[in-house]
Amino acid sequence: MKQTLLKWSTVVGLLALTSQAFAHHGSRVSYDLTKTVTLKGIVKEFVYVNPHVYITFEVKNDQGLVTEWAAETDPPIMMAARYGWSRKYLKPGDEVTVTVWPSKVGAPRGFLAKLITSDGRVTDHSEQPQQ
Amino acid sequence: MTGKLRNRLTTATVAAVLLFPSVAFPQTPPAALNAEVPDSQKDQPFDPHSLAGIWWGHPVRGTRNSLSATPPSMTAWAQQRYDAAKPGLGPRGRPLGNDPMMICDPMGFPRILFWNNYPYEMIQLPDRMIMFFDWFYTYRTIWTDGRQLPADPDPRWYGYSVGKWDGDVFVVESNGFDDRSWLDADGHPHSDEMRLEERYRRADHNTIELSMTLTDPQAYTKPWVSEKFTFKLADKKTEMREDVCVPSVEAKYKETIREPAGGATVIKK
Repeated sequence: MKQTLLKWSTVVGLLALTSQAFAHHGSRVSYDLTKTVTLKGIVKEFVYVNPHVYITFEVKNDQGLVTEWAAETDPPIMMAARYGWSRKYLKPGDEVTVTVWPSKVGAPRGFLAKLITSDGRVTDHSEQPQQ
Repeated sequence: MTGKLRNRLTTATVAAVLLFPSVAFPQTPPAALNAEVPDSQKDQPFDPHSLAGIWWGHPVRGTRNSLSATPPSMTAWAQQRYDAAKPGLGPRGRPLGNDPMMICDPMGFPRILFWNNYPYEMIQLPDRMIMFFDWFYTYRTIWTDGRQLPADPDPRWYGYSVGKWDGDVFVVESNGFDDRSWLDADGHPHSDEMRLEERYRRADHNTIELSMTLTDPQAYTKPWVSEKFTFKLADKKTEMREDVCVPSVEAKYKETIREPAGGATVIKK
């Protein structure tokens, strides 16, 4: 299963979302909430500060070309309360599988929907209420 | 297993993961975000003249984090400001807006009350109440020593406030508000002539009710009467956190995330 996931981790998954919760998102207004993109990458920076926690990570494509992506999410206090995150939740060099709602303009940026670490920790942020 | 069959199984697995992520990635439910005193304690005795404690706001359905869903008619002066406001939230929300929050400007009052994931703490002293807000980690003072509102105060982000008990209702009158703050996330404006009346009532051991009336003839053609807001007493384990909006951090976030995601700067993939 894990091997299968890793093999497919560079596949871009388009997943239609029907939840009413995504009607009007605050800082999420730049993102396309009708689809998600799943990427596997290596954490470059884990910024655990206000106003929004974000992760920058490097994604290598089949040709070996590296793109730096960034996924933002909610403030530290919310990530701590909901998921037990702390400043130590990730560190540079960690291998992660990141699912985001992507930027509407096609930039390598997204809002975090799900994070899976290589040691099996899962943060499913896809059904959180609107902020 | 043939390669073809393996590929089919792999495709089916990926499809299942995408369609049923909660099955594929089981996890423990998130902890309660806003821990409150249990409802079973609401009938415990309480001092109706005490608002002390940490309180969580409860959203008023349909108000979109404002005083009420429908503001009074705006004056031409206010309409011009409202049109210039470009929110990042709500039905008028667009990328790359000019919400003062996005540059860590103070939220001002009453907007700072309207974010329900952050509590406030009421600290009751002999001569004043301190209302301390988790969001932006800031406070306002409500003087209770009998002083009057100043006649022509210099503006403050959180206004100048005096309060007194009227029976079991704590009535707060405020003026001197800085007109750079928005009243809500939608960008409703106010002038520095705005006056605000707040009426707090300890409805039971667990609950404060608040109604507000905003009067600002320069901006609105009649007083804006709020919905009745409810605040619930926080669990004793609740700690005020430190949700400071840091301008240097915000600037880096803007450069790294907000502007590329919104299309203000182009990053080649």
